[in-house]
Amino acid sequence: MSITDAELMAFVDGELSGADAERVSAAVSADPGLTARIEDERRLRTMLGDHLAPIAAEPVPENLTLMIAAAAAEETEQDMTDAPAGDPIREQPARVLNFATARAQRQADARAAKTVRAALSGNARRYWGTSAAIAASLVLGLVLGSQFADRGGVIERDGALVASGALAKGLDTQLASAGTDAMPLRMLASFRRSGGDFCRVFDGGRTSGIACKHEGRWTVERTVAGASVIAGEYRQAGSAQGELMAAAQGMAEGEPLDAAQEQAAQTKGWRGN
Amino acid sequence: MSTNPFCEELTALLPRLRRFARGLTHDVADADDLCQQTVERALRSRQQWQEGTRLDAWVYRIMRNQWIDEVRARTRRSQTFTHEEEGVDVGMAGHRDAENQVELGNVGRALARLPDDQREAVVLVLVEGFAYKEAAEIIGVPQGTLTSRLGRGREALLRELGEQA
Repeated sequence: MSITDAELMAFVDGELSGADAERVSAAVSADPGLTARIEDERRLRTMLGDHLAPIAAEPVPENLTLMIAAAAAEETEQDMTDAPAGDPIREQPARVLNFATARAQRQADARAAKTVRAALSGNARRYWGTSAAIAASLVLGLVLGSQFADRGGVIERDGALVASGALAKGLDTQLASAGTDAMPLRMLASFRRSGGDFCRVFDGGRTSGIACKHEGRWTVERTVAGASVIAGEYRQAGSAQGELMAAAQGMAEGEPLDAAQEQAAQTKGWRGN
Repeated sequence: MSTNPFCEELTALLPRLRRFARGLTHDVADADDLCQQTVERALRSRQQWQEGTRLDAWVYRIMRNQWIDEVRARTRRSQTFTHEEEGVDVGMAGHRDAENQVELGNVGRALARLPDDQREAVVLVLVEGFAYKEAAEIIGVPQGTLTSRLGRGREALLRELGEQA
């Protein structure tokens, strides 16, 4: 019984089953020549695999993961804001990030956040005062940033978005006045809203927002996307923080908390009343 | 709030996609560019992916087609230019410079020397582990064509690497 090259190849590749596989297997064990060829084929497979395996083991470059995360965030945003009924195959806008720009923007945002924090700790009153102009032109979209979505940082509870995981922990423990928060989550300011709840302005890099502690939960009241999420229309450096600060001013009763007030609020577990 | 299965699965595929890109292009920079283009294209066209079908095969097909387009464009450019300027390296098999070939190692060199159609068949089946039927669908040829390319590619590799294999 003769075995063709194609059969032998299919056998090695696991493409044969049942009677065909048994037939080739029997022929191979009876013929040392065939056995040697099978071994050559298997070694070839191993050599090719070994040659290319290191690439799959490398860390994936950030530009690829960021691009996908941005698309996911964008899709979520669209689903939540303007998904029209009866148009399921609506074309996705072709927004592709330019990564160098996005990275530069993130760095600029980080610098701007530092400035904002410095302004707050130095002269909070002045900052609240000057941000009124920003508030006038404020448009805050509800953007669920991929960042916290990915990590389970935001969950839906009774129709509201509630912080969980790393975000909730940061809101509970990190102080804006400390100014030394580790990336990627920074606290920009804390304040009380009418009704007495404590609220915090946070910057998570790709997503920034305002969360207020109400009935024991951090409810995410606002989010804005950082530069890596909003493609096509890059914001000015720090504008996400500016918008949030303006929104915070609109929500706040009085001035933002100073360092001592913030510390006291944290000690009390951010319970407003 | 729902997570996005398409994007999650695509992210999980990235290490394999990078490997396939390197297998196709046998060039670090080309592979990176190809990966980026592929992910962009996949995200743009994600409405065309049918849920319930294999996402990996779909994205591999995008990558493979992007690469074929690129190779064709380079061939056209080199045909246009070589009349006037000699020695345009188009980055295809047989045109690599010596330095690059040293980096590739024996296996990489042998793979790079294969014709493009044989190389993609070899990489899809022997490295990426696709079944004949799946590999043929990714390339868009009948299964018989796939197996004959695979057979020829294998033979060439075994000839070249025979002593080590």
